[in-house]
Amino acid sequence: MEIEFERIEGRSTQYRVMMFAFAAAVIAGLIATWVVIEEGIWVTGMTSRVPWGLQIVMAVYYIGLSAGSLVISGLYGVFGKTEYKPFARLAVYVAMLFLIAGLLSILTDQGRMDRVFVEPFVYFNLQSMFSINPILYIGHILICIVYLWALFTNRKKLTTVVATLAFGWAFCVHSGTGAIFGFGARVLYESPLLPAAFVAAAMASGTALMILLIVGLFKITKRHVDDVLIVRLGRFLAICLLVVVYFLVMENAYRAYVVELRDAAVYYLFGGLHSILFWFGLVIVGCGIPLLILFRKKTGQSIKWIVIASAMVVFGVLCERYVIVIPGLTHPPELFPGIEISSSVIEEGIATYSISFLEVLQALGVFGAIGFLFSWGLKYMKLLPTEARIDVHTPSKEVPSRPREMKVHG
Amino acid sequence: MKVAGGTIFAGVSSTYAFRILTTPGEGLAGDEIVTTGHRWGMVIDLNKCKPGCTACLDACRHENNVALFGDDRWDIHWIRKVGLHKKDNPGVGEKSILLLCNHCDKPPCAQVCPVRATYKRDDGIVIVDHHRCIGCRYCMIACPYNARSFNFRDNEEWPNKERPKRSHGVAEACHLCAHRLDQGEMPACVEACNAIGAGAIYVGDLNDPESNVSSLIASNAVKRIREDLGTEPKVYYVGL
Repeated sequence: MEIEFERIEGRSTQYRVMMFAFAAAVIAGLIATWVVIEEGIWVTGMTSRVPWGLQIVMAVYYIGLSAGSLVISGLYGVFGKTEYKPFARLAVYVAMLFLIAGLLSILTDQGRMDRVFVEPFVYFNLQSMFSINPILYIGHILICIVYLWALFTNRKKLTTVVATLAFGWAFCVHSGTGAIFGFGARVLYESPLLPAAFVAAAMASGTALMILLIVGLFKITKRHVDDVLIVRLGRFLAICLLVVVYFLVMENAYRAYVVELRDAAVYYLFGGLHSILFWFGLVIVGCGIPLLILFRKKTGQSIKWIVIASAMVVFGVLCERYVIVIPGLTHPPELFPGIEISSSVIEEGIATYSISFLEVLQALGVFGAIGFLFSWGLKYMKLLPTEARIDVHTPSKEVPSRPREMKVHG
Repeated sequence: MKVAGGTIFAGVSSTYAFRILTTPGEGLAGDEIVTTGHRWGMVIDLNKCKPGCTACLDACRHENNVALFGDDRWDIHWIRKVGLHKKDNPGVGEKSILLLCNHCDKPPCAQVCPVRATYKRDDGIVIVDHHRCIGCRYCMIACPYNARSFNFRDNEEWPNKERPKRSHGVAEACHLCAHRLDQGEMPACVEACNAIGAGAIYVGDLNDPESNVSSLIASNAVKRIREDLGTEPKVYYVGL
């Protein structure tokens, strides 16, 4: 069955309002970034003790989101699941945009943004994850462009080759991003499990985001999508979440078990605001409730509930990114084991970090930029299919004889 | 010809790749004067260091135009003084200690720098090229000694016009007054400690067995901070 793709008209008031809102966010982000460049990074919430803040949290979050999107496209491109072909173009485009968002977040976090376009390429350092990762990111974006071209021109062989390459590359991208922290000297960073855990959370958040986008876009543009496709994505999301939970348990159990790491484990789990984000945001909202929803037969097959679970996962993984980056910095490195620092010209011990308004504007600006590009892409590229149906000629165990339809108005 | 060219290219590139992969912390930059043959190190005698004295801190700040904004969050300290006592036993074994860049032989800060702005000179001094640093702050994360600072804002004060004014957006740390060592002078902290303080700081050549630091290391039970991390710091403490 040949699938037809089309552009959206993009003439509605809602579309124009949305584009205007994204543009406004970009302008706000640019103004905030200009203030940071002019005044220095002291105007943000970052300090000498916590030199990374919201922009780095958002960078790793965005980069993670791009993974799951690519996985959805890989279901068709790599594994030949033709029922997911309708989502493939959209998924690759979203994956590319989120990678760009990650790079923009990193760019706007630099102390000397003017040097970022030359120095890293001239004085490349193969020993630094910060040198290796940009290659992975830029490579990922280029692969996505070729992948999109192969999909648009319907080149099946090239699609399979590029999709497989993109799939493998994505694992490197997310392992590399996790390694920035996992290979770090801080007690709460240093962990070989972190890159793998990062991949798992990336796949969960990306899949959840794609579910939200597919259901939302198809509903708004009055397109048909078979329920069973969303239900299957929901099941895939549930499996990703189980892996996330497994890594969470292992990592924290290790820290709690090893005597010299126990203090850090207690700080991580019960030490302040980040602990609330960990328990409430990540464990309960991000993993626990979505798992209950997705594994319960009744809710696991309801599109409404799957959408709710996906929104929770997207929020939960944002919390997860925060609790990867920030507590690792607020918890001090132990300079003198068994000895305590009683006085100092600067504050030693546990540090604090509060997100500043300018950082929020910067993050909004990046979101606005990719939101704008996404909406622009919908209007000028044939990203959306006319419909997404299970092909009745390729029977599957899960495919009902008469696929249930999502209730779409109009 | 093609095969020969390819072989040469592969040989050169793999040798280069092997070199940069197996020499942690070694930078490629090195245009400045380097006191060849030396391997600079520091010894701090905590038994001599006076608790209330800040002569070395003040001298460092003046010599290198290190900024003090009056706010802990952004103040820069190339060298700082902290009081220590044993855990769960305040008051017992109270000591003052100077903390600064350890000029590690295997500096993690140089390893992670994506632009090689932080590098180790041939004489062992770990230094930041402020004209190359992009301000990513990865070196601050990687340093296990909390010895690195970031210029969060411009420093309006410029007491020492012979040294550059510090501008915002780059990372920095003690460079052992490399400019002075290159001229045959001692770092500002050492001079101040000798003049005003108790002469507790020594800087010398670790390669020279007759140097002041080598003699102190040989004749005292010296310790380095977190030797277990394998960074091979070159700041030694007597009485820690």
